[in-house]
Amino acid sequence: MTKTALPRAPVAHQNPVEDRLLAMVSALAGELSVARERLDTVERLAEAGGSLRRDDIETYTPDEPASLARTATRKRLIARVFRPLRDDAERAAAVNR
Amino acid sequence: MTSTHPMLATATHDEASEQFFIRDLKSYLGEEIEPFQRRIAERLDPGEGHNRRVAALFERLHEQDAFRAWASVRRTAQEQLWSVVSASVERQSETLNDLARQAPALGSLTLDPSFRTPAYLAEHDVHLMPGGYQADGGDSEVSQGAIMDRGGAVYMLGRNGGLMNDVRGHTLAAHLFARFPNFAPSTILELGCGVGASAVPVARYFPHARFYAIDVGASVLRYAHARSAWLGADIHFVQGDAEHVPFADESVDLVFSCVLMHETSAEAIPAIMAECLRVLKPGGIVVHLEVPQRYDSMDLWGKIRGEVERVYNNEPCWQVAISTEYDAVLRAIGFEEVAVGYQSATPHAVPGAGGFSDTSQGVFRSWFVVSGRKPS
Repeated sequence: MTKTALPRAPVAHQNPVEDRLLAMVSALAGELSVARERLDTVERLAEAGGSLRRDDIETYTPDEPASLARTATRKRLIARVFRPLRDDAERAAAVNR
Repeated sequence: MTSTHPMLATATHDEASEQFFIRDLKSYLGEEIEPFQRRIAERLDPGEGHNRRVAALFERLHEQDAFRAWASVRRTAQEQLWSVVSASVERQSETLNDLARQAPALGSLTLDPSFRTPAYLAEHDVHLMPGGYQADGGDSEVSQGAIMDRGGAVYMLGRNGGLMNDVRGHTLAAHLFARFPNFAPSTILELGCGVGASAVPVARYFPHARFYAIDVGASVLRYAHARSAWLGADIHFVQGDAEHVPFADESVDLVFSCVLMHETSAEAIPAIMAECLRVLKPGGIVVHLEVPQRYDSMDLWGKIRGEVERVYNNEPCWQVAISTEYDAVLRAIGFEEVAVGYQSATPHAVPGAGGFSDTSQGVFRSWFVVSGRKPS
């Protein structure tokens, strides 16, 4: 089923180019996070001496420590990529009137 | 307790990673950047004396690069959520359609080919979900329901009963036990059932009742029917609009909704309340559960955040829904024994446990409820 999203309100006073670029950066960050996690799966399977067939990668389920480590990596990636937005917000919050 | 069900779209290795990314990006925006937005808002607050304080502040915030970028990425994360979940569901759509056809023969599905979606749902994509509640690929396809169910689980970040997303239903049953302990409905109707996340738990507490649930979308209803059947619930799904309920006068003992009002409109809310009175038998019970915030008691940032949700996450009725004086509306229509308050969130309702009070314990810890009885 093909569905087209209905028109949405622009963020007031924002250049639509900035909105699009932020969306592309977010999508790229997501892709990088997925690739990083897949590499982590390959490393863990290799470390365990198992096979590296696609099926083994697809069906890999991290145990609790592995899952926590992957979440930490993902959160660090997000914090790195989006740091400029956080820092800008911090500065804007601190400005004196 | 059940933690998943056969209709729930599965995720490949990479799809799971994508969904975790969205979850964690949303957390980052909420926990690491939003506190600064709150401080920017405090700095730009035109003051209590300003006659349109919230609107003026919302405008002033838009003069800040930092605010615009945050609002923009926040929306992007939501759009990205639907994008990755939709792709995952499309990949397995044939499997899901087959699973729906193979569901146990429980309950029923009644679609209305001439049904028209209410304008307040047709004119924008609620929660930015492309196709909204109403998109339908026809025949026996269930993908819009599958997207809504899987997306809802990611959107809720596991806070509302994990992949089952069912805490609201249990909480509604807990409210019935708390306020009407001897109530044993033989016919139940839920308005705006979505994928049946609340209908299934409520049906379990009243196994002898005939249970009907209505919503607007054919695909969502097909999915809801299959989902509930796989979960062993005997529920009759009907395509219908809560403002024009396709049921006879005085035909049900209990009518309820869970977080429906804030997805409707200022005009629809009183119309829906009047429909509840019409379809209830004398002595019947009405319960509506909503988000636990009340507009008047929100702090300034809460109101601004609501504006962000309203404009950038397509929640146009949000403020009206949490400002409506539901007790006055229900009494004016003719309900008795009307009460409003907060029901403690629970994953399992227990008769005699109470949990209804006039104090909110906060988001995801309690839900706002209004309930009443039609005069005998």
